[in-house]
Amino acid sequence: MSHRVKHSGARVDFDRPLAFSFDGKSYGGYAGDTLASALLANGVRMLGRSFKYGRPRGIVGAGPEEPNALTQVETGAATIPNLKATQVELYDGLIARRTTGWPTLDFDLKSLCGPFSRFMPAGFYYKTFQNRTLWPRFEHIIRQAAGYGSAPEEADADTYDHRHRHAEVVVVGGGACGLLAALDAGRAGLQVILFDEQNEMGGWLLSSPNTVIGGEPAAQWLKTIIAELRSLPNVEMLTRTSAFALHDMNLIVAVEQLQDHLPLAERSETKPRQRLHRVRADRIILASGAIERPLVFGNNDLPGILTASALTTYLNRYGVGVGKRVVLQTSNDYAYQGACDLANSGCSVVLVDTRMRPNTAWEQRAHVAGVDVRPGYGVAAAQGGRAVKGVKLVKLDADRNVMSGEGPTVECDAVGSSGGLSPTVHLYCHDGGRPYWDEEKLAFVVSATGRAAAGIYCVGSITGTFGLQAALAQTQQTVGEVIASFGKAPAQETRKIETDEPEATPARRIFRVPDGKAEGHGQKAFVDFQNDVSAADIHLAIRENYRSIEHIKRYTALGFGTDQGKLSNVNGFAIAADALSKSIPEVGTTTYRPAYSPVTFGTLAGPHEGDTFEPRRYTAMHASHVARGAVFENVGQWLRPQYFLKPGEDQEAAIRRECVATRRSVGLMDASTLGKIDIQGKNVREFLNRVYANAWTQLAPGKCRYGLMLDENGMVMDDGVTACISDEHFVMTTTTGGAARVMSWLENWHQTEWPDLDVYMTSVTDHWATAAVVGPKSRQVLEKLCSDIDLSPGSFKFMDWREGTVAGVPARVFRISFSGELAFEVNVDASYGHHVWEALMEAGAEFGITPYGTDAMHLLRAEKGFIIVGQDTDGSMTPFDLDMAWAVSMKKPFSFIGKRSFARSDTAGPNRKQLVGLLTDDPSVVLAEGAQIIERPDASLPVAMLGHVTSSYFSPELNRSIAMAVVRDGIQRRSDDSRKAGRDVLFAYSRGTTHKVKVVSPVFVDPKGERQNG
Amino acid sequence: MAEPLMQSPLSAFDLGVQARAIDDSRGVWASEIPLLAYISLRGDAGDAAFVEKVVSVIGMPLPVAPCTFAASNGVTALWMSPDEWMIVCRRERLSELTSGLKSILQGIRSQVADNSGGYTQVSLQGRNALDVLQHASVYDFAALQPGRVVGTTFGKSSVYAYRADNGFRLIMRRSFADYIWRYLVRAAAPYGLGIAAIEATGHAGQGVAE
Repeated sequence: MSHRVKHSGARVDFDRPLAFSFDGKSYGGYAGDTLASALLANGVRMLGRSFKYGRPRGIVGAGPEEPNALTQVETGAATIPNLKATQVELYDGLIARRTTGWPTLDFDLKSLCGPFSRFMPAGFYYKTFQNRTLWPRFEHIIRQAAGYGSAPEEADADTYDHRHRHAEVVVVGGGACGLLAALDAGRAGLQVILFDEQNEMGGWLLSSPNTVIGGEPAAQWLKTIIAELRSLPNVEMLTRTSAFALHDMNLIVAVEQLQDHLPLAERSETKPRQRLHRVRADRIILASGAIERPLVFGNNDLPGILTASALTTYLNRYGVGVGKRVVLQTSNDYAYQGACDLANSGCSVVLVDTRMRPNTAWEQRAHVAGVDVRPGYGVAAAQGGRAVKGVKLVKLDADRNVMSGEGPTVECDAVGSSGGLSPTVHLYCHDGGRPYWDEEKLAFVVSATGRAAAGIYCVGSITGTFGLQAALAQTQQTVGEVIASFGKAPAQETRKIETDEPEATPARRIFRVPDGKAEGHGQKAFVDFQNDVSAADIHLAIRENYRSIEHIKRYTALGFGTDQGKLSNVNGFAIAADALSKSIPEVGTTTYRPAYSPVTFGTLAGPHEGDTFEPRRYTAMHASHVARGAVFENVGQWLRPQYFLKPGEDQEAAIRRECVATRRSVGLMDASTLGKIDIQGKNVREFLNRVYANAWTQLAPGKCRYGLMLDENGMVMDDGVTACISDEHFVMTTTTGGAARVMSWLENWHQTEWPDLDVYMTSVTDHWATAAVVGPKSRQVLEKLCSDIDLSPGSFKFMDWREGTVAGVPARVFRISFSGELAFEVNVDASYGHHVWEALMEAGAEFGITPYGTDAMHLLRAEKGFIIVGQDTDGSMTPFDLDMAWAVSMKKPFSFIGKRSFARSDTAGPNRKQLVGLLTDDPSVVLAEGAQIIERPDASLPVAMLGHVTSSYFSPELNRSIAMAVVRDGIQRRSDDSRKAGRDVLFAYSRGTTHKVKVVSPVFVDPKGERQNG
Repeated sequence: MAEPLMQSPLSAFDLGVQARAIDDSRGVWASEIPLLAYISLRGDAGDAAFVEKVVSVIGMPLPVAPCTFAASNGVTALWMSPDEWMIVCRRERLSELTSGLKSILQGIRSQVADNSGGYTQVSLQGRNALDVLQHASVYDFAALQPGRVVGTTFGKSSVYAYRADNGFRLIMRRSFADYIWRYLVRAAAPYGLGIAAIEATGHAGQGVAE
């Protein structure tokens, strides 16, 4: 049976029929429909089963407040779970399915529990699943039974982007007040952005086209105002854009649906599916309106029971008559227009007004339309199985919300209920604002100008100004203040906008309609549909002594769902207040947090995915590495070759080959990623004296020196080689990962503590490309490319640097070594990096020059006992702990950073963890990095933890394993220390296995340094 | 041994091959302006001697007002921070300007550092150039006045940006250029991206040193 009511006021296009499928069945709808309106038009009532009890559920609302109609839209990579059918715009070919009802919609396993529902009270989970070992078994079944959609399993085929915006005025909500606010601000010349979450501007007016506003029907008024807004170049209107968060300093975050309303085939691949707008606004005008809350009564969750405003919306906006015989129940005036519209469309309408004396003007209009108004009654309970079939009325007491007598039973096929309006105050509250309870309006409202100092203004229903005429007047007044706050004047004098509303009559203060029974003994009366929270559950939580509304919320799951309690919260607060014998303001609200409605992860991630997920920094030699089979690793965002794979090799073989080639002949490493800081000025030496632990006063031009940089606690934070270019010019190198930190560390000390020092520093990390030529044949390789530097051992010594030409390019060559081998680091303008690298490869070909990566580099340096800051140190190691007293000068006239801390009792005391080498008894055993060092082979608890392994490798050079570790009093335990006194035997424990180790010096290869100095 | 060949940070994208004359067919036109010279200059803007001597080398006033730049005779001087400037020119003038600055600033508290290998720049033009920037950065580029330069975020990296050639010029570090370019290509996709031919500077992204 079709429920379509074709009328000219509808916002659907009856000339554009569409086909769609739901749960495998084909249906028809029209352009402009939502999935919900189309399903209702096709007579589909039951869309799912409830979360806990498996009760039949249907559509309740018409927008973001919908608690039940969660649908899975589309399939495969394009699928989206849990979209509210009320927010899914219909398009041709749309495929949707229900997300609840298991195993089938007609037979839901949980419905069997119905009679046993007293065993599933509030806090059911907490009470039942205290057994942690059983929970994982139950979890799968419970999650499946509870329902909800499935996350997509394929990669998302769509793209998303972010857009930063700046505006003088942002208006949230394109209803009557929002449009008027944007118009007034726009006419005054302000730069305005107007957001509305629906597919067109108009808000409630789209649902109430017969309202007369400014002397014309609402539909006409909308057309005029939207046309003028479009004509203003300083006003931007974004529909399908939900402002879901308001953060500090007036940052509004909104998501725009760019393509979800289009058939899949019509969606553009080059355009994003959704866009995140982040707007900094000088002023924000919240015109976010209000959402009607239903009354709570028995069986109020039967399919066919909606909010009164949703019934009205489906009729007026979508041309859908949900029922033929409609019962409306209200506590206020707002349901009357809808009642008249429904009656005029041909429905039989019974309007149950809980008030003793309804608004006489409205009552008259209702009578004219043929509505049967029943004042003083309420709906005690609905009747029906999978759809509502009737309602049982009760007579209400005039003063108290109790039953004063029986009432008739009214047959019907649709029910709409209105318990009043709940302002959409969410955004106002996201950054600290709080709503207050207005006992006259029976709503949590916010003040129009209460946060004007922060630039936040509110107009219309959000302030509790529910009457249209009053709201428009308030909007004009408030926007006038906004305009004045910019030092501007309104473009024209404001004129009063008349409407045809009668004078309002106060609403009845009622939330739960009485059924003459104690709470929990009558028919289930639901407060929160999505989480199956009944009025009785709230009473139970309070009986169990939950007092704070935040606790009651968590215990019952009130307002937990994807609807975030938009229909249920205020009823829940009010019922809790009654049960606690407190006032509603005393109970207060739960916390409003972003997002106002669900946002996809794709939108939040935006462009930060794929190859723009995170900056990948490349050196100038990258293409050379790729061509030679490099496998890369991330080091401080840089992509560094980790090792180079040759055909048939695995990682271990590649590292071994690279190490052997480097120690026996010559290797080549890309060291471009190290941080480089150019430092100039008269006081560079003094500056270096203060930021490094060692002394720089005597370092001659042409020389380099290794330095340890300490933090204020005397702990090693970075290390590197610094070269003296001239007396007033040095170049410092830092670790790859520490470059930015060291740069700001130096600037910070210079700018805040020692501005008197004549020194400037600049990062030149990216300017220099660095190729380290390493190994006994390195000199011969370089000689082929460099004729203007005397490379002979006598004139170019270890720790010297020279300026010259390499491969035809100006270069600085440093004779420094991180491997213990003879080595030259060639630095050139990075534009030539690729050229010089290839020239070195070519020149070294006759020696079998081998590019090596960070894995081989780590191994080579460990063989020499060279530390890696951050691996062998952890922020608690002093130079002394590293046995590097030679890199500390305590005699410098001015102190250096960290020096004072050496005198701290703990830093100066015994028992410190110190860096040592470890040799396993079994040379083939490679210890796990992180293995604990213990004293006995028996690791049974308790056991003293003496330290841990920091670096561990199999050394091809020694044909055995080596390790570095930090160990308590390690230096005195070393086999080469006279004080070892038998304490050099320890054990390394990891994952259940213990290995005997000997504590030794960490310098395993060439302890005298003959190779690097040769 | 091959002739020394320079490669710009974006040379891997082979932009030269795709380059064409700007027309209305695309919303965004971008291209790398490769292999320019970048000189980092630091000194005290309040020191008249420093400013005066720099001016004598670069041949125009040093922009000392925050976030401004000056350009004249093929040299652009960009204010980076209260005591830092970037001097940009063609490579041919690098050694003349560097040594000129170094020698004239002898004895004056200052720093001159060649950073030419460390930077590149991208020209961004077309009717949607501004949109692309707003996809990438929090800065309000619509409010960026001609003659002003701003250092700001670009995705998770950063750029210096100023208005030039009916659009924007973005200066970025070499190692971040790949990320920034990819981000830019992604952001420009909905508007249509064209690679603009850059006449004066050549477009190969590679060049032979003088």
